[in-house]
Amino acid sequence: MKRLLGVALGILTAIGGFVDIGDLVTNAVVGSRFGLSLVWVVVVGVVGICLFAEMSGRVAAVSGRATFEIIRERLGPRMAGANLVASFAINLLTLTAEVGGIALALHLASSVEPRLWIVVAAAAVWLVLWRVKFSIMENVAGLLGLLLVGFGVALFLLGPDWGDLLAQAASIGQPPGGQSMGSYWFYAVALFGAAMTPYEVFFFSSGAVEEKWTAKDLSQNRLNVLTGFPLGGLLSVAIAACAAVVLMPQSIEVSSLSQIVLPVAQAGGTLLLAVVILGIVAATFGAALETALSSGYTVAQYLGWSWGKFRRPAKAARFHLTMIVALLIAVGILMTSVDPIAVTEMSVVFSAVALPLTYVPILVVANDPEYMGEHVSGKVANALGSVYLVIVLVAALAAIPLMIATGAGSA
Amino acid sequence: MSDIERAARRVIDARLHLLDRQVLDVVGEPVTAIDDLEIVGADGEEVVPGRTARVAAVLAGPAIVTRLLGGHPPPSRWERIEWSHVERVGTTVDLSVDRDALDLDWSERWVRDRVIARIPGGLHDPESD
Amino acid sequence: MIIGDLLASRVLDHDGGGLGHVVDVRLALELRDDDADPETGDDVPLSQGALRSDLVGQAEVVGLLVSPHNGGSFLGYERTGVRSPWMIASLMRRMHRGTFLVAWEQVEQIEEGTITLAQGFDRLDPSLH
Repeated sequence: MKRLLGVALGILTAIGGFVDIGDLVTNAVVGSRFGLSLVWVVVVGVVGICLFAEMSGRVAAVSGRATFEIIRERLGPRMAGANLVASFAINLLTLTAEVGGIALALHLASSVEPRLWIVVAAAAVWLVLWRVKFSIMENVAGLLGLLLVGFGVALFLLGPDWGDLLAQAASIGQPPGGQSMGSYWFYAVALFGAAMTPYEVFFFSSGAVEEKWTAKDLSQNRLNVLTGFPLGGLLSVAIAACAAVVLMPQSIEVSSLSQIVLPVAQAGGTLLLAVVILGIVAATFGAALETALSSGYTVAQYLGWSWGKFRRPAKAARFHLTMIVALLIAVGILMTSVDPIAVTEMSVVFSAVALPLTYVPILVVANDPEYMGEHVSGKVANALGSVYLVIVLVAALAAIPLMIATGAGSA
Repeated sequence: MSDIERAARRVIDARLHLLDRQVLDVVGEPVTAIDDLEIVGADGEEVVPGRTARVAAVLAGPAIVTRLLGGHPPPSRWERIEWSHVERVGTTVDLSVDRDALDLDWSERWVRDRVIARIPGGLHDPESD
Repeated sequence: MIIGDLLASRVLDHDGGGLGHVVDVRLALELRDDDADPETGDDVPLSQGALRSDLVGQAEVVGLLVSPHNGGSFLGYERTGVRSPWMIASLMRRMHRGTFLVAWEQVEQIEEGTITLAQGFDRLDPSLH
C-alpha cells in the first residue's frame, strides 16, 4: 500500500510539476492564434522531455554526477563555460518569468499591487529553499499544481465542437486564415522550447543526486516520467484548447494572465477560477523553486563547489549565495515594470536555442560504460535520442532567424 | 624502465579522465573541479623532456582562468592538492583528507562565515524535520 | 610544468615538419591493492555501486596524443570502444582520424607552445584498450 502510494505520489507530482509559466503562456497564445494546429509540437516536446529527463535522471543516479559536472567533463572548460553563461542567463530569465507569474496570479486573486507580490513571492521562494526538505518541497508544489486540471474541466463545461477541435489538431503545418507561416513556425519552436526547457533537466538530474537514488528509484523515476509528463502535456493541450474555443473566435490576442484564465471564468465561474489561480500560483511557485535551484546547481557543478538542498546551507555556502543573488536579480528585473508575459515568451525561445548544449553531453555520457556500467542507453533510447538530436538542432538553429523574420511572431 | 610499468597499472588520458572531474574529500564532500595538473621530474625537479615525469599536484582556483583564456598561472597563485592525497580515481577523484585540511577552499569559507552562517537558519539541517 | 602548457601545443618532427597538435597526455596510474567491496542491492544508492574506481599511487606521464586535425575536445570517443549514438560517434571519429600516440621518451624538446619529437619516433596506436 505504501509503495502504491509512493508510485501515485510520484506520478501526480510529475503531472503537476510539468506545467510552468512558459507552458501556460505559450499554449494560451498559440491556442488563441493558431487553434490546435500546433498540438503536434506539444506531443513532440513531451516525448522529447520524457527521453531527456529519463536519460539525465539515469546518468545522475548511476554515476552520481549531475548534468553540469558532465557538461564540463565532456566539453572542457571553454565550451562548458560558454554553455554555463548561456544556460545561467536563460535560467535567470525563466526564474524572472516564474516569479513574475506568481505575482500576476496573486494580483489577479487579490488586486493588491503586483510589485508588492513580487517581493513577497521571491522571499517565499527563498525561505523554502533555505528551510524546507527537498521531498516536501517537490510534493506540495506538484500536488497543488494539479489544480490546473481546472483548464480541462473548463474545456468540458464550454462544450466545444470536438470534431472541429480534432480537425484543427490534424491540420499540421496549416495555420488558420490570417496567420503567417513564419509566425506559425516561430511558435512551433517556442512551444518546443517551453516543453523541453533545460532547467528541468538540471533540476531533475541534480534531484536524483540530492535524493540518492537507488536501482528501485530508477525504475520508479522511469514510470513517473513516462506517465506523468504525457498527462502534464495533456494539461498544456487543455490550456491551448480553452484559448482556441473562447479567445480565437473573438480574435483576442493573449497578452495578460487575465486573458489566459478568461475561458475558465466564462465556463466555471468564480469557483473554478479560484481553483485554477491557485493551481497557477502553485505551478509557477514550484517552477520558481526549480529554476532558482538550477541557477545554483549549474554554477556550483561547473566550478566543483559543494551544492545541494540536502546539505545545511553553511555546508554549501556559495551554492546558497548564488541562489540568493539570482533571486535578487530576478526581483530587480521585475521592478523595472517589464511585462512578465513578454519575459516568458523570450525565455522559451532562448530555451530552444540553448537546448543542444545540455542535450548532447547527456546523450554521449548515457552511452559511456565508465559512467553507466550496465545502465548504458539501449538501442531504442539511442535511436530516439538521435532523432531528437536532429530536431533539437533544427529548432535551435531556426529560433533566432524566425524571431527576427517574424518580429517575434507578431507578423 | 619505470617502476609503474612493472607493477599493476591503469592507463588513462589526463584530459579525458582527470581534467575537469569533480574532486571529493575523504567523506565524499565536493572540494573543487580539477582545473589543471602539475607535473614534475622523478625527483621533484623541473620536467626534462623524454625523462621520467609524474603528476605532483592537482591544481584548482586560478588555474581555471588560464585554461579558459590561455597563458600560464604564476606558481605563487596555484591552489594545490598534493597528488599523494589522491586516493582513488574513478568518475570522481577521491582524496584521503578532509576538505577543511586543504588550503584552497578560502572562498567557500569566506562566504560561509561572512554571509550564510549569519543568516538565521544557516546552520539548520533541512533533512532533519 | 602543468598539463595545460602541453595541451594544444604544436607538434613538430625532428626536422621541423608540422605533425599536428597535442590533444591529450597519457598517464599510467600505479594501482594499489584494493580490498573495498562495492555495496550492491536495491536499497544502496546506485552511484555507490560497481562503477570502476581504483585505489591509485603515483601517476606517471607515458606519452602524448597528437591529432593532425585540431586541438578540440574528443567527447571521449576516439580512444574508447564506445560507438553509440552512431551519429555523434562517427562524426568524432572522422574529426580525429589519424590521431597517434607518441611515447614520452621520444619527446625531445618542449618550448612554449611547440613540442619537438626525436628522430625516428614511432606512431603508436592511440586506443586505450
